Amino acid sequence: MDFGYKREEEEFRKRLCGFLDQELTEEIARQNWEDKGVGPEAREFSRKLASNGFLGMSWPKEYGGQGLSPTYDFILLDELGKRWGAHVPLDVGYTMVGHTILRRGSEEMKKEFLPKIVRGEIEFCLGYTEPNAGSDLAAMKMRAIEEGDVFFINGQKTFNTEAHYAEYHWLAARTDFNPNTPKHKGISLFIVDMDSPGITVRPLWTMSGERTNEVFYEDVRVPKNRLVGEKNKGFYYMMEAIDSERNHVFTPYRLMPILNDLIRYAQETEFNGKPLAMDPRVHDLLAQAAIELEVAQVFAEHSRWMESNGIPMTYEPEVTKNFVSEMEQRLVNAGMQILGLYSQLEEHSKWVPLKGRIEWYFLHSFMTTIGAGTSEVGRNVIAQRGLGLPRA
Amino acid sequence: MDFKFSDEQKMLQESARSFLKTECPKTFVREMEKDEKGYSPELWSKMADLGWMGIIFPESYGGIGGDFLDLIILLEEMGRACLPGPFFSTVVLGGLTILEAGKESQKKELLPKIAGGELILTLALTEPSTTQYDPYWITVKAQLDRNDYLLEGIKLFVPDAHVADYLICAARTKGELNSKSGITLFLVEAKRPGIKWEPLKTVARDKQCEVAFKEVKVPQENILGRLDEGAAQIEKIMQKAALAKCAEMIGGAQFVLDMCVSYAKEREQFGRPIGTFQAVQHHCANMLIDLEGGRYITYKAGWMLSKEIACTMQIAAAKAWVSEAYKRVVSLGHQIMAGTGYMEEHDMPLYSRRAKGAEFAFGDANYYKKIVAKEIGL
Repeated sequence: MDFGYKREEEEFRKRLCGFLDQELTEEIARQNWEDKGVGPEAREFSRKLASNGFLGMSWPKEYGGQGLSPTYDFILLDELGKRWGAHVPLDVGYTMVGHTILRRGSEEMKKEFLPKIVRGEIEFCLGYTEPNAGSDLAAMKMRAIEEGDVFFINGQKTFNTEAHYAEYHWLAARTDFNPNTPKHKGISLFIVDMDSPGITVRPLWTMSGERTNEVFYEDVRVPKNRLVGEKNKGFYYMMEAIDSERNHVFTPYRLMPILNDLIRYAQETEFNGKPLAMDPRVHDLLAQAAIELEVAQVFAEHSRWMESNGIPMTYEPEVTKNFVSEMEQRLVNAGMQILGLYSQLEEHSKWVPLKGRIEWYFLHSFMTTIGAGTSEVGRNVIAQRGLGLPRA
Repeated sequence: MDFKFSDEQKMLQESARSFLKTECPKTFVREMEKDEKGYSPELWSKMADLGWMGIIFPESYGGIGGDFLDLIILLEEMGRACLPGPFFSTVVLGGLTILEAGKESQKKELLPKIAGGELILTLALTEPSTTQYDPYWITVKAQLDRNDYLLEGIKLFVPDAHVADYLICAARTKGELNSKSGITLFLVEAKRPGIKWEPLKTVARDKQCEVAFKEVKVPQENILGRLDEGAAQIEKIMQKAALAKCAEMIGGAQFVLDMCVSYAKEREQFGRPIGTFQAVQHHCANMLIDLEGGRYITYKAGWMLSKEIACTMQIAAAKAWVSEAYKRVVSLGHQIMAGTGYMEEHDMPLYSRRAKGAEFAFGDANYYKKIVAKEIGL
């Protein structure tokens, strides 16, 4: 049993911290975080991460990586998280899609996309959810009809975040229309150029001021070599990718800067001559948050350790996801209580404390227990796969 | 990063589990709750033969030379089995304190005997006026009288005092009542005149006692550690005891979860196992999350302790988390076990009562949140 890191890993972390402290500006971090769109600054930062040897550490050498353990990517995520960075700029490609291409794509597909992902040059957006297919993803209706060398794809996706700036759509569509086929056995995955004719992207604005999108496909022509892996196996590939996705997205340390901001606020803000930092109620709220961050981190360390060592994961990343997303909500709630009346002020308001980050986080945090899978479905998975409880 | 047990650790866990399955059935646990001593000398002796009492003492003191993780593994199994008896008091409160603070002669004299199962020890720390948990609130006096100290006062919630051969008593040798400085630890033979113990009736039925010291004469050489500087030792004992208690609690929580999951798979209502209902599934998932979080933070802190990496934060986080987590596990456990689990003869109350005792042992979540608050700069 060992909770430490190897010396080489710590050396990597040290170099990375030096780089990030210099290069990760607030502008870049906000482009990462606030889904308003990765702009030129974040893209430039992404390329810089790669050219300085911080991106692609755990990717195979033949595609431009260093062939090292996934631990290096986890260290990258942790250090970005601690600095408001949340994740790598082009994170869908790097943390979700790329792994599936590596696992399931043809050699031709791997050669085309992986080096660019590893160099931080391209981004994907996920095309899964539909108006009638949320938690029940297998109910999706977007259809991909095979005709000779291509597929013609028609339908609609919703909540496709990053669709307005990603180069590629990672699209799930139905390819088996036999009514006797179970729904989840008739879905395929495609890589679609976002500038293909017939694709329309319309913005959807969230309550947190972030942009997501509806995406409409009208007879979009997708070459056959853009089918990922085998036809009709797409749902399995999606489920397969979920564990790694959880480990790479739900980074407990991304909550550390919020906690640190709140601690500093309590130390610097007074009521009736005494800093809020002396109020036992504030102690209680922030100590609870700090404790939960410790527990969240050790959950993440556990599910990441499994992934890094090829140990089959069944429910563990789900636990990490559930815990991190729910503790985030509790942390924000604690923060709002400490800020009191001031917690309601928006970013550019007069008198707003902490740049309005806590208010924004409050609005954003409703999403964390829904996106990437709801807590309710998550608990079903934990109970059924983790504890063997029977399905209804 | 490696969450796996070593082969030796796995063996320790498996052998402890199967030993206790045979030697500590629930009938025995209930018997010991009613028994005056509260433990079986035969079982105690078998445990000593297995090397359990000396698991964490160096070989030079008659121990096995294991580390804190080995102790955690053992305690987790003991918690799972509800093992009654003074193991925790003797090894953690007594043995580890002597190992930490004792002079060479004290260590050489006592540790091998503890390892051999020949001695029972405990720690007398908190007092009637400790109405809010504070291990440094010491009013029991130790007054120098020529070459001896005279101990005077009452200690409360002293586990296993009724069977102890030695009590380690924290007493005030100088200074104000609320001062951390001026506290001294004394090694007191239980048979010294002037000591009177009386068992308290606790929800966990865990033989905690009131111990009254009336002019108890203790020679200077029985000081453990340094005169007036006992607070530093108390801090170390508290950390180890709190974390050790977490291990015990995790073991108990696992038993509760296993029992509930088995029950949910078998118990049928409305024509199907109750484990197919989402509410029950979610309760079980919540229990698992609480338990595993507690387990991993306990192991992490235990590893840090065994490597002598500063871990005040992690230990405080562990006890704060596990104190509340076990409480939630028990609460959901009762929901799942429903009417059956409410009966005295069922196993469930054995765990819920112990969970409550453990919640407050060595400081509860509120106490440790204060420590965490300090650690984060408040």
